Amino acid sequence: MKNRLKVLRADRDWTQADLADQLQVTRQTINAIEKGKYDPSLPLAFKLAALFGMPIEALFSPDGE
Amino acid sequence: MTDERTQTSLQAGLKKSTFTLFLATGAWVGSTAIMSFGPSTLWSYDASTTYLAIAANLIIGLVMLYSFFKHLSAMDEMQRQTHLEAIALTLGITMVLTVIYGALPQARVLENVQPTNVLFVIGFSYILSVITLWLRRTRA
Repeated sequence: MKNRLKVLRADRDWTQADLADQLQVTRQTINAIEKGKYDPSLPLAFKLAALFGMPIEALFSPDGE
Repeated sequence: MTDERTQTSLQAGLKKSTFTLFLATGAWVGSTAIMSFGPSTLWSYDASTTYLAIAANLIIGLVMLYSFFKHLSAMDEMQRQTHLEAIALTLGITMVLTVIYGALPQARVLENVQPTNVLFVIGFSYILSVITLWLRRTRA
């Protein structure tokens, strides 16, 4: 699954650690999501969407798209 | 933007659960040693004391299991998934190797087998699986 997490995070001038703190996950988890090595659970995806103020589909897209 | 309390609570929770699991595992290893060697060295095969040692070992084992589940729930979701996948891998590896190991006496490759050796297979498989899966996700 692809995502725009890195770009959106950079837009807000947040570090991976900043984002991890707000989501109560480790920095490694944020790094793995950004690199597409780990797909977050639905609750975490909703948390991310709420944090960035946009729908989930604006953050994540299937690999083929 | 950084809320240090959140990260600290995640890390503090994990640290606490790790320490509890360490204590529970230590107690289980100790009670296993007492259960195994106590009858011959400490209480001269007194049956009621042996049953007591077995019951204590079982209860401490259940406490260790509970501590492990608490430890899993203290992790963040990627850590938890890594450990659960490692458990699945460990189950498969242990099953395959145990079948081979169990067949060795029948094939006259070994004279007898020690069931406790399976514990080493479980331990090594689990540690290797966690490290491999974690590195796959976190390495650049």
